[in-house]
Amino acid sequence: MVSLCGIVSAQEVEKDTIKKVSLDSLAKTVNEHSEKFAGYEEKFSGLEAIVNELSKIKVSGYIQAQYETYDTWSSDGTVHGIPVSGSNSYEDNSFYIRRARIKFTYKPIDGVNLVLQPNFEVHQVTMKDAYVQLNDRWLNTFSLWVGQFNRPTYEIEYSSASREFAERTLMTRTLYPQERDQGVKLEADFVTQYNFPLKLQFAILNGNFGQGSLSSQAKDVDNAKDFMARGVYSLKMMNNSLGIDFGAHTYLGHTTVIAQTTPPTVFTDVNNNPFIPKVGDKFKKDLFGGELQAYYDFLGGMSLKGEYIRGTYSGTTNTAQVNSLFNANKIRNIEGYYIAFVKNLGKLFEASVRYDVFDPNTKMSGDAITNAGELKYYNWNYALQYFFNDNIKVMASYLMPINEKSQNAGADFKSDKHDNTFTLRVQARF
Amino acid sequence: MKTTKLKIAGVLLVIMTVGFSFTMVNKVTIKGSDTMVILSQKWAEVYMKKNPGASIQVTGGGSGVGLAALINGSTDIANSSRPIKPAEVEKLKARYNTLGVEIACAKDGLSVYLNKANPVSSLTLKQIGQIFAGKITNWKEVGGPDAPIKLYGRESSSGTFGFFKDNVVKTDFSPSCQTLPGTAAIVNAVKKDKFSIGYGGAAYAEGVKDCAVKKDDKSPGVLPTATTIKNHTYPITRYLYMYLKSRPTGETKAFIDWVLSPEGQKLIEEVGYYPLK
Repeated sequence: MVSLCGIVSAQEVEKDTIKKVSLDSLAKTVNEHSEKFAGYEEKFSGLEAIVNELSKIKVSGYIQAQYETYDTWSSDGTVHGIPVSGSNSYEDNSFYIRRARIKFTYKPIDGVNLVLQPNFEVHQVTMKDAYVQLNDRWLNTFSLWVGQFNRPTYEIEYSSASREFAERTLMTRTLYPQERDQGVKLEADFVTQYNFPLKLQFAILNGNFGQGSLSSQAKDVDNAKDFMARGVYSLKMMNNSLGIDFGAHTYLGHTTVIAQTTPPTVFTDVNNNPFIPKVGDKFKKDLFGGELQAYYDFLGGMSLKGEYIRGTYSGTTNTAQVNSLFNANKIRNIEGYYIAFVKNLGKLFEASVRYDVFDPNTKMSGDAITNAGELKYYNWNYALQYFFNDNIKVMASYLMPINEKSQNAGADFKSDKHDNTFTLRVQARF
Repeated sequence: MKTTKLKIAGVLLVIMTVGFSFTMVNKVTIKGSDTMVILSQKWAEVYMKKNPGASIQVTGGGSGVGLAALINGSTDIANSSRPIKPAEVEKLKARYNTLGVEIACAKDGLSVYLNKANPVSSLTLKQIGQIFAGKITNWKEVGGPDAPIKLYGRESSSGTFGFFKDNVVKTDFSPSCQTLPGTAAIVNAVKKDKFSIGYGGAAYAEGVKDCAVKKDDKSPGVLPTATTIKNHTYPITRYLYMYLKSRPTGETKAFIDWVLSPEGQKLIEEVGYYPLK
């Protein structure tokens, strides 16, 4: 009995000792780990602050590398290809880096975006987008853009990385050269806050981007500002299977005569009558357009898109203001439109066809035209895209321009000039 | 004659290629809302048992991640606990020439979690918004003790974050709101901190108490229950969605039809959400 008690008390003592030792070592270990965790927490806080700052910067971009063949012939069949810049020779095919762009977006606080997008070319780097976007944080409706950004039309704002064809239409390329301009833009999008699918855009622009030398595009050349406005309303029908966006836009601007030559440069008016303007004279650039895009969910989705623009446009050959696609001292009534049909084929393919028309002089046609720059063009463009994955797509695009015929606008245009282009493009975006 | 045969062969090849591209799909991938992961896994599990040939793969990541995957083509179905944003629809238009297909598949209530020891038990929607926006920072401002309010919330890729921000906070979250990965983590944090507040799916509120929510000062506080969420009297009620690029075909259609059938809808309450009817 005694020995049993002895065993019991020995066990109790032993148990107590183990317990004390275990608790002490446990406390020590916990303390050590606490210190380690505190250290990690400190390190983590530092890293978190860095990651938070870095997450405010987004980098995206894309490269378009392509192979082009030019089925272009002179009227007598002796010359094949297009002129090589700076030489007397011609090329009928070429590899070409069409785009190499990186877009940096920095969002320092909610509601503010700073965007910078340089474009890299073989011989130069140019700035495409550089703007500050301030979004209203109270109504979630308005945003103010200041800097250099896309002019507000559907075809311009539709990114070339998403576009189904190799190039924009002749109409858009002529009327809105290089797509962008410098100025200020106010957008009101009523869908987020009010569930009302109306978007309005108003912009005041220098009006001379894409015209003249790069240095003359850096600032306004004539003090006068151009105005743009666009409104788009979206409809959803048939249980969201059919979506229709329709809208209109206007461009109200000028070409100002900023210098006169000796002997004086002669301009022609909308009726092709010559006149000599004075320095400071302003000629209209008033455009009015309508647009429609319809999307229908039929065996994988398809869309029909179109825009129509008409108005009065003016140009000058002054080196600080010249528009290479409207390269003359003239005022003209112009008209253009396009219709594009796009069909998705399964998950990976997309086929598209576009018919676009641009008439740079609606008051003159046929043999009355003596300058190729006044000819109306009817362009057919066929394209097939293959989406390898989200980052890479391959496009085959065939462009067939059909020109208005004139016996007096040069030998090439007495009949339809052979000037088709085939483009095979690989696009990688990140 | 030879040319005619070649033309016919060419046309047949195009038709077969197009047709084949629509019939290839036999595996369905679902990605998106973390809130919906358990529900979708349940649906997938039961559906695959009933249809041994079917393969339904479910992953989370957040509603924004799921919708991004839908746009870039890496998932067939995007789960989202918030409606798709106009900017996301624009991306679908650009890539697929559709507006996407929205399928509401369940209902959920967003609970505002409070610690059980917190004497505050009801708040107006406006007060909740101001608390998470950092405009109300002390419990005494809403009838509670003099103690600072500790905020817990979700990451910005979460649909729950988006829905709560758009419908309750209506401005930016306070910078002091600590983001946690998942509703369970928020519930745990609120459970441990007497003066904290968090939000998340009504189904997760274990060990914490639900805050009764008042539409305004004059309305009574409503708790998130099956009845109040189903009849929308609880003010923070939402639908849970599945989004597709275009109208479903094949296995995807069969799965969605089953999810919306009485059999699929019956499973919803088992995981803590509410059927459409």
